[in-house]
Amino acid sequence: MTTATEARAPQAVSMRRILPPIVTGQEVVLLVVLAVLWVLLGIFTPAFLTPGSIGPLLVQVAPIALIGVGMTFVIITAGIDVSVAGMIMVSAVVTARVLVSYDVPAIVAVALAIVIGAALGALNGILIAYGRVHPIIITFGTANVFTWLGLRVFDSSTVNGIPSTLEFFGRGAAGSTLGVPHSFAIAVLAVAVAWWFLRYAKSGRNLYAIGGNQNAARLAGIKVQPRLVWVYLITGALAGLAACMIIATGTSTLDQSVGSGKELQVIAAVVIGGTSILGGRGSVVGTLLGAILVQTVVSGVTQLGWPTQLGFLFVGIFILIAVGTDIIRERARRARA
Amino acid sequence: MTATTTTPAPERRAEPTSRVREWLGSGILRDRAVLLLALIIVLLVAMSILDALGLTSGTFNSDYLASTLIAYVPLALLALAELFVITSGRGGIDLSVGSMVSLTGIVFAMLYQQAGLPLLVAIVLAVLFGALLGAINGVLTAYLGYPALITTLATFYAYRSIALVVSEQRPISGPEISEFYNAAKAVELPVIGGSLPLVPLGVFTFLIPVAIVAWFVLNRTTYGRKLYAIGTNDTAAQWAGIDTRRTRMMAYVTAGAISGLVGVYTVAQFASARPDAGTSGSGMALPAITIAVLGGVAITGGIGKLSGILLAALLIVWLNASILLVVPGNEGAQAQLLALGIVLLGASLLSNATIRRRQAGAPRRLAVPATAPGAPK
Repeated sequence: MTTATEARAPQAVSMRRILPPIVTGQEVVLLVVLAVLWVLLGIFTPAFLTPGSIGPLLVQVAPIALIGVGMTFVIITAGIDVSVAGMIMVSAVVTARVLVSYDVPAIVAVALAIVIGAALGALNGILIAYGRVHPIIITFGTANVFTWLGLRVFDSSTVNGIPSTLEFFGRGAAGSTLGVPHSFAIAVLAVAVAWWFLRYAKSGRNLYAIGGNQNAARLAGIKVQPRLVWVYLITGALAGLAACMIIATGTSTLDQSVGSGKELQVIAAVVIGGTSILGGRGSVVGTLLGAILVQTVVSGVTQLGWPTQLGFLFVGIFILIAVGTDIIRERARRARA
Repeated sequence: MTATTTTPAPERRAEPTSRVREWLGSGILRDRAVLLLALIIVLLVAMSILDALGLTSGTFNSDYLASTLIAYVPLALLALAELFVITSGRGGIDLSVGSMVSLTGIVFAMLYQQAGLPLLVAIVLAVLFGALLGAINGVLTAYLGYPALITTLATFYAYRSIALVVSEQRPISGPEISEFYNAAKAVELPVIGGSLPLVPLGVFTFLIPVAIVAWFVLNRTTYGRKLYAIGTNDTAAQWAGIDTRRTRMMAYVTAGAISGLVGVYTVAQFASARPDAGTSGSGMALPAITIAVLGGVAITGGIGKLSGILLAALLIVWLNASILLVVPGNEGAQAQLLALGIVLLGASLLSNATIRRRQAGAPRRLAVPATAPGAPK
């Protein structure tokens, strides 16, 4: 309920109150946790804090963080996309087949992958925005359809002899400049653009409004449905770009398990980063930190010589801790208000 | 609050004739069980015609249909688990059922094979263990306020990881478990068995007892009423004196116990306890949720019937079996994915369109996800 006094308040004041702080509490917590983890891992496994170990870690973070940007948008609008793995699979297998059959330059391959991902994402968005069915149901459905499509292109075998056209994104020397992997740099760039977009662009802030209350957003004049289509389209396009990175970091063979399980990893990174699954609140910087945290835990467990699968137990625990601290802070915030 | 600013809904005055037309148009689709039953009949008729024309790679008959029921049991049971959780509302969902199946299967095999406990004791302990895993989900979701999607995503990772680490990624098998295989395989029923196709024993030992208990709990107990109440409107249920947290927690415990039973069943089905039984490939949780939604369970909570679950699972299992006959080999297995996706999308879009047509007189409303704050309950 807007009272008369609040309505007269200067625009700048009310804007500052609505905008999230530049650095959220969750991001500070994540930075501290990451620092502690890296120091501990550095002490117990001397090989951890070397460029030879950090570089590959960042290469593996890149696709998760990149898709995480789109997924953060989606979750801010109170949606979810569980078809990411299927979109990665279709983009990756079509691009790989084209790379094998036609000697296309890297830029064409990347554009192809992005267009395929965007088309699949747009399909999700249109069904969700205009079919008005809960996003989790639509994307469960399209996930099955996308996986079928991917498997059909695979045609019951692997794609072999993929040329190293995409080595720009790869693990090798061609894949990094001054020790920074290109794929990770692209992910950071995407995060920076998305951070600016969510904070300072009108259509970015509209996403928070849609997630906070879709009806209110519509009554406030926001074109909810086109916005939703864009959000899912962007997630698809980023999944397509991530598929290029996944092709580049793999061997010359692409098998049918490509992308499998990525949807949950991305969602884990987003929620660890402090984005509320209920919508209306979240940050892409947190998502990047969340992605790094997940990969640090998984790689760290392997480097400590523990069973690889144990890493995911810690991922689960970190999800609970991260969201738990967020719930506690949210309660405190509400108690203050 | 938007409610105070919008004008009240105009009085709906549908003409009797248009009412009748509307009822005819949407009536048959309104009841999900009728729609599913019709789809099953269409499928059976179509397949019989194809079979008669000799277009199928195997014979399509009641024996074949009955034999596919071995895959029906875990699917229907896990969809039933999702029914309890999703119906409890507030974004209820359980992504961890597959992991719970894997973990309880391993625990059951350890108790039965390695510790040498009697079969019945091992089964009861495995189900209780599943209930314990579900209780962890329940406490986090109902008492500590975690969104269900987060809780069960975390425990999906945690339980799967524990199952793989504890078993050292090796399946557990042995003579006792091989013997136990008999609990799932096809049998001829006594007395009337001769005239009926061979139905897998698991249907009688696992599915039917659970279905009867679940029907009774959902429809004839105060717990069932409370579950639908909290799923329909949590705040109203609280004011009506219902312990909403306890009721919601019990839904997750039930899902865990059912998953535990499925864990035991998969051990019997495969004659070994596989640490990835419920999580290999895309896992068991996604098909279970899909079937629950297909069976008419509203993802927003408060709506869902046992009959819908049983029919939806049957439709999917027989559809999959039919596809394998028409499209043989690997291509058929892939086509099952397409069929599942199309049926889910079609059913959910169709049912939403019917609901909207019914609300045509009411002011246009956007579907707000139930998880959104301020969403209409």
